[in-house]
Amino acid sequence: MESTSVIGTANKKGQIFTEPRKLFFEAPRVPVFLTGSEVIKEAIRRASVDVMVAYPITPQSEAAALCGELFAEGYVGDYMRGESEFAVMSQCAGAAFGGARVFTTTAGPGTLRAFENFPMWAGARLPIQVIVTCRGINSPLSIQPDTLEISFLLDTGMMVWHAETAQDFFDWILMGYIVSEQPDVHLPLAVCCDGFFVTHTKDTINLTPADMTLPPYDPYRSPVPCMDMECPPVRMMRDPFVMKSNYISYATHASWQQEVRAACERSRKHTIPLLGGLIETENVDAEILIVASGTAVSQGREAIRLLNAEGLKVGLVKVKSLRPFPTEEIRQATKNAKWIIVPEFNVVGWLAREVRAIIDRNDRVIVGPHVAGGMTMPPEVIVEKIHQVIKAGKGELVHG
Amino acid sequence: MGKDKISINEEFYDIMPPEYRELVESGTYGKEGRGWKDMGSSKELIEEHSLCAGCPESMAFRYILASLPAPEDTVMVGSTGCTSLVFPHVAVHNIHSLFGNQNAIATGLKRALTVRFPNKVKDVVVLAGDGATVDIGLDMTLQSWFRGEKFTTICFDNELYANTGGQESGLMQKGFVAKMAPVGKKFDKVRLPEIARESGCQYVVNMTASQPGKVEKVIRNAVYIARELGPTYVQIYTPCILEIGKQSMEGLQEMRDSEKPTERFAYKEYITDEAKAYLADLDAKRKAKATAQLAAK
Amino acid sequence: MQKRLNIRISGLGGQGAVTSAHLLAMAANKDGKFAISNPFFGAEKRMAPAESYARIGSERIYDRGEIVYPEVIMVYHPQVITMGKSYTMPFYSGIKRDGLVIINCSEPLLSQDDVKTLEDLNVGVFYIDATKVALEVAGTELSSNMAMIGALAGITKVVTLQALDLAIQDRFGKKYVASGGTATLDEAIKKKFAKKEQLLAKNMATVTKAYEIGAIWAETHACLVAS
Repeated sequence: MESTSVIGTANKKGQIFTEPRKLFFEAPRVPVFLTGSEVIKEAIRRASVDVMVAYPITPQSEAAALCGELFAEGYVGDYMRGESEFAVMSQCAGAAFGGARVFTTTAGPGTLRAFENFPMWAGARLPIQVIVTCRGINSPLSIQPDTLEISFLLDTGMMVWHAETAQDFFDWILMGYIVSEQPDVHLPLAVCCDGFFVTHTKDTINLTPADMTLPPYDPYRSPVPCMDMECPPVRMMRDPFVMKSNYISYATHASWQQEVRAACERSRKHTIPLLGGLIETENVDAEILIVASGTAVSQGREAIRLLNAEGLKVGLVKVKSLRPFPTEEIRQATKNAKWIIVPEFNVVGWLAREVRAIIDRNDRVIVGPHVAGGMTMPPEVIVEKIHQVIKAGKGELVHG
Repeated sequence: MGKDKISINEEFYDIMPPEYRELVESGTYGKEGRGWKDMGSSKELIEEHSLCAGCPESMAFRYILASLPAPEDTVMVGSTGCTSLVFPHVAVHNIHSLFGNQNAIATGLKRALTVRFPNKVKDVVVLAGDGATVDIGLDMTLQSWFRGEKFTTICFDNELYANTGGQESGLMQKGFVAKMAPVGKKFDKVRLPEIARESGCQYVVNMTASQPGKVEKVIRNAVYIARELGPTYVQIYTPCILEIGKQSMEGLQEMRDSEKPTERFAYKEYITDEAKAYLADLDAKRKAKATAQLAAK
Repeated sequence: MQKRLNIRISGLGGQGAVTSAHLLAMAANKDGKFAISNPFFGAEKRMAPAESYARIGSERIYDRGEIVYPEVIMVYHPQVITMGKSYTMPFYSGIKRDGLVIINCSEPLLSQDDVKTLEDLNVGVFYIDATKVALEVAGTELSSNMAMIGALAGITKVVTLQALDLAIQDRFGKKYVASGGTATLDEAIKKKFAKKEQLLAKNMATVTKAYEIGAIWAETHACLVAS
């Protein structure tokens, strides 16, 4: 209730708390030429963040440090460097338990070091937003982009979105808080991107005015009590589950885990109008479809251009949200496709696995091409794969 | 928080559990000068404990809850272990998240509460076992002290991993034979109180829970100093009677035996000059206030 | 101009390869074209191989990451070729037919085999002593990167001089957030000039001089990327 009453008033930096839909869709946009890291900073400037915790890891260090400047300028309530990603994600949890809007960033090995926290965040219904600028996680050391870590995030109970561009980042960071903090959702959100490809590339981004900001988070709309000794109840339980019969423990945990996943599914109704759907499609009546997420979408778009120039029509499905997974949307979009090409920036092909699991005649799915360890995927590689599919298949099915 | 915030709606009064009603009616939230002597005459902020019968940890827990200077504005942070079986019964907001990350949680929590309530005092108190504080969580324990985070860390030192069945811990005595130390622990009990002093704690105490009055004084000091100056650390011996082969009624004697002047839990206190001056100032103000009240009567 | 010009810049850490790519993309942006730029993703180390990329085109650009198949390769330091300080071996790996190579050196460096390979692909090779131009015009070798982008613009006309001027003003005239090594060099070059205006003017003069040299060469060396 407090959050609606502040609309139209100014914060201490003179930014006007603006109704989210107005901020997203009606506020004037100005094009600027920035790196993805700078865009993250600009989104946070407009996000009314209470607490941010930072830790250096390539490639997100720049974004995390730039957000520190926002704190110095007074746009963020508090900011600190934690001692490790495990500690950082716990510090974020502490701040969110205490009713703050929280932001952090991580990448690759940091994501995995932090990992114990993610299912805890979801189970505790903490609407923390973490930017994951994906990077390789295998030995030998890699500091290069690779999206393998997203596969690990998929079953944490968190919402997981995969941004293609810095523009996605700017919009989704702001929209993400609005979706995350809905009382019937109230879950953490990982906004992922392929590290470097997005963070370190300068591109033209349309920004909303710097003097407009999201309304603040209202922790009293949470489905679980905020730990600030300002709201009842003061005692949570009569007995801890583990001390009662195990059956009560099982029942409690089973139902709560289902509720967490149900909350993730409920986020659809808030996400779809803001992101314009969980997927974006182009020419899905074509016989050949590229289904991709993140930077693989961009490379897919370039490949489609090259193929169009040869007179070959290829459609595209951009998967924006991985959790909740757009099962029905993908089924619909791929129903007429003869071949479904899933290019990915990781060795395992987790998106292909997800797509295969939900569509019928799933031998239509061509797993790959893949790059792993940091290399970009030249559009020419996707073109070559599609040529192979057509040539080898001559109308028959080919397995990747 | 004022007590009005937890008052029960009349319509729902009859369906609230009786012990919650008691808590709202005679819990000692906002009571000036609350302490261990309230136990028995008012509703305690701990309902039961889910610990072994006679566990010294339950005594320590009750004394601490009775001694918090402002439970109405205190949030506690626990960790996995025996203490996490007790926290659900505790009637101040408390957080359990993971094992060992309690001081990181408390860091974020304290900062969030400071941002959200700039004109109000919100105390944060961590209470965790020795495995959580010294072994798995040592990094976060120390880093919170290095940063000078303003909250109190209490360690229930039972010198082993009790809840998982008595494995060796860093605070275990050298030579003790335990699970995972089948030929006896090879290295000395970690000197965390000394490390705490060197790591920036303003106030450090090593003690047992044998005397409630002493626990009360230490906890009040620790919370007051943390509120104003910086981190404070209290290490309390709460022996695991089960794992050292004692009977339920022998816990108190074990604590008394271990706090003799030459023993490892002899009362030890370290306080910075700044903290000492601050406590003296608080004391003077309290006395002046009492004198003024007396004069007004 | 072509629909898309993919430019790969190979140099050594500290030579301003990353700054060059940013300037080219910013300038193209100011000319109303689509452009993106990015560095090679890795640890930045002084005098170690450094690579950056600019993509400029008449349509929206989606392609991300290293440029594997460039139209243009710029070599900022002879060691890229002579000592193999390059992320790709040979340094011209992936260059497209009818492409362009610009090398900062006063004399030819390529082996007979390399010359033949590039000739077969109809790739133009232009040597310019960019460091000498920088020393003569700006009085510091730190402006060598300005000479290189000037030469590129002079040959290909992919960006205008006016746009480069605006981009340089944006990059050096305003508060700019640069990472560690780049920030240090920013400070170093600022110290070379008494006033910021002087820095801007000298850099632009270097760009202009190299532009003219490049434009003259292009008149006699037709390759596809040249206008």
